[in-house]
Amino acid sequence: MRLDRVALSNFRNYSTLELALSSGVNVFLGENAQGKSNLLEAIAMLGTGKSFRTTRDAEVIREGLELASIAGTATMRAGSVHLSCTVTRGARGTRKVYTVNGQAVRYAAFLGRAKVVTFVPADLHLIDGAPSGRRGLLNSALAQDDVRYFRHLARYQRAVQQKAALLRSGEHPDAALLQIYDEAIVEIGTELMLARDHFVRELAREAERAHAHLAPHERLTVRYHPNVPFEGATRDAVITAFRARLRERAAAEAQRATCLVGPHRDDLVLELDARALDVFGSQGQKRTAVLALKIAEYTVMRDRNDEAPLLLLDDVLSELDDARARALVAVLAGAEQAFVTATHLPPELQAARRFRIVAGAVEAA
Amino acid sequence: MSAPRSLAGPIAALINEFSKLPTIGPKTAARLVFHLLNRPRHEAQALAEAIIAVKDHVRLCSVCFSLTEDDPCAFCTDERRDASTICVIAEAKDIYAIERTGVYHGRYHVLGGLISPMDGIGPAQLHVKELVERIGSEKPNEIIVATNPNAEGEATAIYLSRLLQPLGVAVTRLAYGLPIGGDLDYADEITLAKALEGRRHL
Repeated sequence: MRLDRVALSNFRNYSTLELALSSGVNVFLGENAQGKSNLLEAIAMLGTGKSFRTTRDAEVIREGLELASIAGTATMRAGSVHLSCTVTRGARGTRKVYTVNGQAVRYAAFLGRAKVVTFVPADLHLIDGAPSGRRGLLNSALAQDDVRYFRHLARYQRAVQQKAALLRSGEHPDAALLQIYDEAIVEIGTELMLARDHFVRELAREAERAHAHLAPHERLTVRYHPNVPFEGATRDAVITAFRARLRERAAAEAQRATCLVGPHRDDLVLELDARALDVFGSQGQKRTAVLALKIAEYTVMRDRNDEAPLLLLDDVLSELDDARARALVAVLAGAEQAFVTATHLPPELQAARRFRIVAGAVEAA
Repeated sequence: MSAPRSLAGPIAALINEFSKLPTIGPKTAARLVFHLLNRPRHEAQALAEAIIAVKDHVRLCSVCFSLTEDDPCAFCTDERRDASTICVIAEAKDIYAIERTGVYHGRYHVLGGLISPMDGIGPAQLHVKELVERIGSEKPNEIIVATNPNAEGEATAIYLSRLLQPLGVAVTRLAYGLPIGGDLDYADEITLAKALEGRRHL
């Protein structure tokens, strides 16, 4: 897909902005704190409806004002689509309204219309950071890919929260109620685990291939590490293993008053030549693996949908050494459309469409 | 957000009171106040009295916990209503949704909420014990659980069915399905999947 036009109103440091975009690579150049990342954040919100920098939506509204909006027109295989996301700060909290072709829609119908893959400096800690970051990668890709995954994830998280609250509620939580939440957790959790298992197989294949280009003498392996181990990715096998694990851990869950079993505790395992990368890897090796993982995320999302997602890179080229930066630029060159922020134009991107950003204003450079 | 300081005291006070109501923000509250200022005094009087009357004369039915002026309520005392069926709902307002269908003629039981440990609501905080007692004394044939199809409504329905079935009463649940006049194309996947599971013979 290709985003042809984006329009912002009172979004972060932009009062109004209308920008025509090109296919291929678009580079947003400028000094720090001029609004490069804000523009990238806005484009990402057209796909995911959420900021990749904050969970407090009101932060994207220009200071002192009450309403921010992002609108865009994209060309997809199925034709042209107009998307908008409006964030309003009100007396009773922040509200977001999404539209597709001028019709207000619910979030689930907005999510994934424009698919995006983002690569931000924080992703460089994907390997040695907390498991939630690695689950976040899976959730972001899968929720955009299939709205059922998004719905399952929301229902699953709700069931886990309710069960945790029940466990915390006293010394003898209602056993009948506990069983009801456990059944919901198994039923919905199984769908999440099967989707992740399937996705990680594809992700691993692509990540290993990308890594072989970047570091031909080392072998990366990526594996799904479910909190509930299961043999054979069938629904029945997962359900059986899940129920057994819940029974085993029931006493520990009651004692610690928290949910210890299920895909909310899943992880990804990355190894380099069969050694755990987070423990034994050098900084350089970890960066190479992150890069391979991100390239794989992009490739899998593109191949699954027969429609290339938008690739958004926030200030990451400067974080990579020459060889890795060149490998990333090669991926950019093959992308249908990509957006990159940088303080200086990387020599490999001389041919890209350039925009210069100064204090919330954009000019073609 | 509070009303601007420059407004006359009574105006600001009424805007403030209106904006405490659900779905009414400060702007709507101000519109309501200025509308009332333009209407004759007796209309304002009638509104004020109606609000007080609701608080003074409406209470909970001691049998079904619906809102009523007389206890027991009209639903519980009306001989023409079918005493063999009890429809269980979360809130008293849900009765009006069911009554509008015109197809239900049984009795009601209001739970007073849904099970949600996150909000500190378990079966003991709801009128569940009273429902069990009613089943013992009124001997209905069927309990229809009409809770919302969300996580809390679902958990409450399953909890009730497991609690009540051993008492020898049939427990049923509202069907999930497609909205009438809806289009298959526009149904979300989960609604459509539930409608398929709940399909029936023609």
